Amino acid sequence: MFFNSTPFAIFLPIVFVLYWFVFNRNKTSQNSLLIIASYFFYACWDWRFLFLLLFSTGLDYITGLKMYQVQTISQKKFWFWLSISINLGFLGFFKYYNFFVSSFADFVRNFGLTPHYATLQIILPVGISFYTFHGLSYVIDIYKNRITPEKNIIDYSLFVSYFPLLVAGPIERATHLLPQVKIQRRFNFKQAKESVYQILWGLIKKVVIADSCAQYANAIFDDYENMNTFSLILGAVYFAFQIYGDFSGYSDIALGTSKLFGINLLKNFDYPYFSRDIAEFWRRWHISLSSWFKDYLYIPLGGSKGGVWIKVRNTFIIFLVSGFWHGSNWTFIVWGFLNALYFLPLLLSNKNKLNTENIGKLSLRAGVKVFLQIIATFLLTSFAWIFFRSRSLSEAFGYIKRMLLNMKFDLQYLNIERYNYELLVLLLFFIFVEWIHRYKKEPFTGKYSYTKVVIGILVLILFGVYTEYKSFIYFQF
Amino acid sequence: MKKFLFHIAVICITIIGVLFLADYSYTEIYNNSKPRNKIALAYLGEAKKYDVIFLGSSRANNHFVPNIFIERGFKAYNYGMSGSRLEESALLLELLLEKGTKIKNLVVEVDLNINSNGYSEGTRILFYPFLRKSNTIRSYYKNIPEFDQLYYFPFYKYIKNDAKIGARELFFTATQKPSHNMELFGFSPLEKTGKKMQYDLSRYHPKRNKGYEKIKELCKIYNVNIIAVTTPMCENTKNIKYFDDVVKLYPEIYNLEDVITDESCFSSCGHMNEKGAKKFTLYLLNRFFK
Repeated sequence: MFFNSTPFAIFLPIVFVLYWFVFNRNKTSQNSLLIIASYFFYACWDWRFLFLLLFSTGLDYITGLKMYQVQTISQKKFWFWLSISINLGFLGFFKYYNFFVSSFADFVRNFGLTPHYATLQIILPVGISFYTFHGLSYVIDIYKNRITPEKNIIDYSLFVSYFPLLVAGPIERATHLLPQVKIQRRFNFKQAKESVYQILWGLIKKVVIADSCAQYANAIFDDYENMNTFSLILGAVYFAFQIYGDFSGYSDIALGTSKLFGINLLKNFDYPYFSRDIAEFWRRWHISLSSWFKDYLYIPLGGSKGGVWIKVRNTFIIFLVSGFWHGSNWTFIVWGFLNALYFLPLLLSNKNKLNTENIGKLSLRAGVKVFLQIIATFLLTSFAWIFFRSRSLSEAFGYIKRMLLNMKFDLQYLNIERYNYELLVLLLFFIFVEWIHRYKKEPFTGKYSYTKVVIGILVLILFGVYTEYKSFIYFQF
Repeated sequence: MKKFLFHIAVICITIIGVLFLADYSYTEIYNNSKPRNKIALAYLGEAKKYDVIFLGSSRANNHFVPNIFIERGFKAYNYGMSGSRLEESALLLELLLEKGTKIKNLVVEVDLNINSNGYSEGTRILFYPFLRKSNTIRSYYKNIPEFDQLYYFPFYKYIKNDAKIGARELFFTATQKPSHNMELFGFSPLEKTGKKMQYDLSRYHPKRNKGYEKIKELCKIYNVNIIAVTTPMCENTKNIKYFDDVVKLYPEIYNLEDVITDESCFSSCGHMNEKGAKKFTLYLLNRFFK
């Protein structure tokens, strides 16, 4: 059940009505309904993996309580590591088994050996990376005495399985989500109205921007051997907007949907393509994952404390793990590595925290400088996306090689009737709208909101891609 | 909550209003603009007098050169459509004839397209903008499973088929952007010469085809001379006997598959390039139009 599908358009209003009109007596009935809805939502993907979700919930709930109840540190450690190893074990098995086995076999072949191995025909359970990380943060926080375990199984189950964030985040923290789950939610008109606007904006990003760019990016990436330099640059740019529209659009729909039930989720995107350097980009892109890695990996490893070597090591670890988190393919690891390389000069020159504020009003001179910084950051990011988009490293290198060596800049692809200039116009308009609303969650609130909503609906209906439901990219992770 | 429900109701009404308005605008623009494809030309264009028109799939679109006929004083047009099946060709012919177009001769390509009785989704979509206005198109498609949504649900036909008749195509239609399909009197030449071409027809078996039967019926009613032909394939085609089976099934079809054998005349195994198309059209002209 995709967020951009008819079944979801039916499912959401039903749950909304039941939530506010039937199950609104207390927080337990509200939470119970949301759990049932969440399990139904997950079962629509593949009911067989419900057991995984149930198991993951039960495991972290019990180990959390045990860690709190036991008397000795060693007992606490035992329950902690039990939870961590089982959680990561499941994730590793479903997501990385085939990768490790085939990579090992490739490695052994270099020594002239012929390994016999079997890969498994397994489907990756939707959202496993997200709800596993959910559970991990909960268990780690208890172990580190940051929080006490949740005793109410209903509240805890909702924390893990809450449907707006179940399949692709944002990766929530117990400290943020559990307190909201533990109180009865009251309807708030302003919040509900904003949530509808945020859903609308998310749909526009997904159906109009991402899915339009996807057509062009796919056509270029799938036929990169026949494309010229200009087309290949465009392909990378189109993919950059595809993945942004896709994932931030998803996040907007998730946040808006959740807000309809009175629950605020963590912000996941903050206009990342207006970043002035890579460090700022990573503070604005997939914020819930970046901050997760920062809090649960980077800081425990020593963070930026210690010598230069420790800083560099930790930076590479966090980016490589982040790449690997996305998928069991070397392309993601190289993507992470490349981002670490981009980040390194800023880290070494202590300039990684230069741009922490939003871009305000600028003089012409400062504006030109900021504009060039934004363009440079965007180009670096788009270059890295080539690895993210490619099916294999050889494809990525082939794409880059042709992009750098072909050196033909005629409008080869855009001359073909099916692929034309109008997408670039649409993207420029989208960038303009994002720029003037960069301090807000979506562009519809404020003055003339009804007019803007009507325009939004028009854009969604007239320029959306509806040929088939396009899955969200991050659902595969 | 009441306020919110009212707000949602306003948004829903807005959406419905936009759908109706968009459907009306799109339909009007497509029905009142210069045609950008052969279906629109058949439906919206003036009733003309043709000495010969060509029908069929890409193997008609890429193989029949109207200019060669025109140079000899014939009025000719190639209504072949890439990807189409005979079902759509039959409807296109019906649209032409019912509005009074006079056609003396119809050359129809009947070969690989009678391997099944299927239809072409991509070509069928191009009829949808005229669904509400044309009784012929409406009655032709009234039994397809999606008909109710296409006909009654506002804007559904455009939203579902946005790649073909969505905003992009509407913009081109409204701005009268010339279409390559309409140049050269409907003929689309292929440029390249293929290498190591081959095609496997082992699984192909000709079947009686409703579209073709319909075309024959229309020709009888409107007194059009029908010349059904097969068109050439490259030498390296497996089960070339398929073409003999076509003739066994429909003895009136002329098997011209082996008229062009020179590999330099082919762009791919099933499609001749411009050189091949000119040679083939010349053959056709000399054989049937002397």
